[in-house]
Amino acid sequence: MADDTKSPLDAVEDGPVASGSAEGADTTSTGSADDHPTVAALLAKYPDEVQRFRLMAGDQYVVWMEPARSHEILSWLKNDPDQLYDMMSDVTAVDYGHGRPLEVVYQMYSTHHGRALRIRCPLPLDALEIDSVYDLWKSVNWLEREVYDLFGVTFRGHPDLRRILMPDDYEEGHPLRKDFPLRGRFSRAEQTRRALNQDVERYYLAEDLGHGVPQEVAAAQTATALPGGDDEAAGAAPEGGQG
Amino acid sequence: MLPGGGPAKTTGGMFGPGSPTFLTSKVDALINWGRLNSLWPMPFGTACCAIEMMASAASNYDLARFGMERMSFSPRQADVLICAGRVPYKLAPVLRRIWDQMPQPKWAISMGACASSGGVFDVYSMVQGIDTIIPVDVYIPGCPPRPEGLIYGLMMIQEKIRQESLSRHFEHRAEDPALVAMPRASAEEVVGLTGAFGNSTQQDQLSTGIVVTPDIPGDDLLS
Repeated sequence: MADDTKSPLDAVEDGPVASGSAEGADTTSTGSADDHPTVAALLAKYPDEVQRFRLMAGDQYVVWMEPARSHEILSWLKNDPDQLYDMMSDVTAVDYGHGRPLEVVYQMYSTHHGRALRIRCPLPLDALEIDSVYDLWKSVNWLEREVYDLFGVTFRGHPDLRRILMPDDYEEGHPLRKDFPLRGRFSRAEQTRRALNQDVERYYLAEDLGHGVPQEVAAAQTATALPGGDDEAAGAAPEGGQG
Repeated sequence: MLPGGGPAKTTGGMFGPGSPTFLTSKVDALINWGRLNSLWPMPFGTACCAIEMMASAASNYDLARFGMERMSFSPRQADVLICAGRVPYKLAPVLRRIWDQMPQPKWAISMGACASSGGVFDVYSMVQGIDTIIPVDVYIPGCPPRPEGLIYGLMMIQEKIRQESLSRHFEHRAEDPALVAMPRASAEEVVGLTGAFGNSTQQDQLSTGIVVTPDIPGDDLLS
């Protein structure tokens, strides 16, 4: 996060400013690692991965981390007896525009220690990929799908990474990106035509809603089994005779 | 329609001896009277307008006074579709399907700013007026309209029914099977909905320069 791209949005990152303070954000407490055991532990255990941290909104510690080892670190945060962040409240993302990195945000809570923590992983716009943490928290299934749908972040290892809010065949892009035009990329007539050509039954079949994975998705996963790392999925499918 | 029930024409009717014991009227009047006093709404509530629609049906405003006794949650037993709220593109085929499932004769009310024009939601995901999807008889302005507004709109539907004639019924109501599940508005009309207005970002309607001219079957029938 270089400072040469300062914009009014940076004030959002700086958090609330105490009223009446002349210096503005400089007087706000940026927090101390001593006040949050997890931040101190992260700094000690992963000094190269933690970019920075700060206190926001009174009691919320935010840690910026390198995305490369995010899965390892998040796994440690969940399983280490001193951390035990067993509840992943939210996974979302922020696009700050101006070509700056898009940040994937993990909001988690430890019900054992009563602590909350927010992890932010900046991803450069030309490499929007990060490991899925579906194997750690099942709750991130739809959350990661939502981030993929609206921001275009690919979560490696997600079992069912497809659009969740926009139509399956939506071709205009990822709507919450800053480079997405407000009214979409197609004309209104084309949007209307595409909307009415949707196969409604495809989304709303009762058996699909009941059993989770629609048949067509299961078939598609079988047909496009990745060459590396996905062998067990292809082998498990009964009729996966692609090659 | 046979008042009095006199024994025979010759012995006198309701207007005195020798007057007929029957009245003449038009079948239109009878049928329209029946239809307009038993309108069953199909509620398609998607947002805050639906709250006002519920209030209209509740005891304080009591929509049943006007014949909307029963909110029909099956489109096959409904006469008037009330689209109350914003309609995203993902819901457009659902709305169209429900409209196609309603038996003739049927009418549609677009309730509120969002259903009528997209309202403040001039964005990528929102239908800019449901009249691009289904034919609309009455638009009710408001954000949301008060229950009186909805009742007034339904009474306008009633007035419209009162003016209808059975002899012209089919030319008014017949639908081309090729148009089922098709847009109601032509491509030019749909694009024109956003052409004249800017928005907060002064964005052109085709900001990326992609010009799409869809070939919609039956489009020429609508113009």
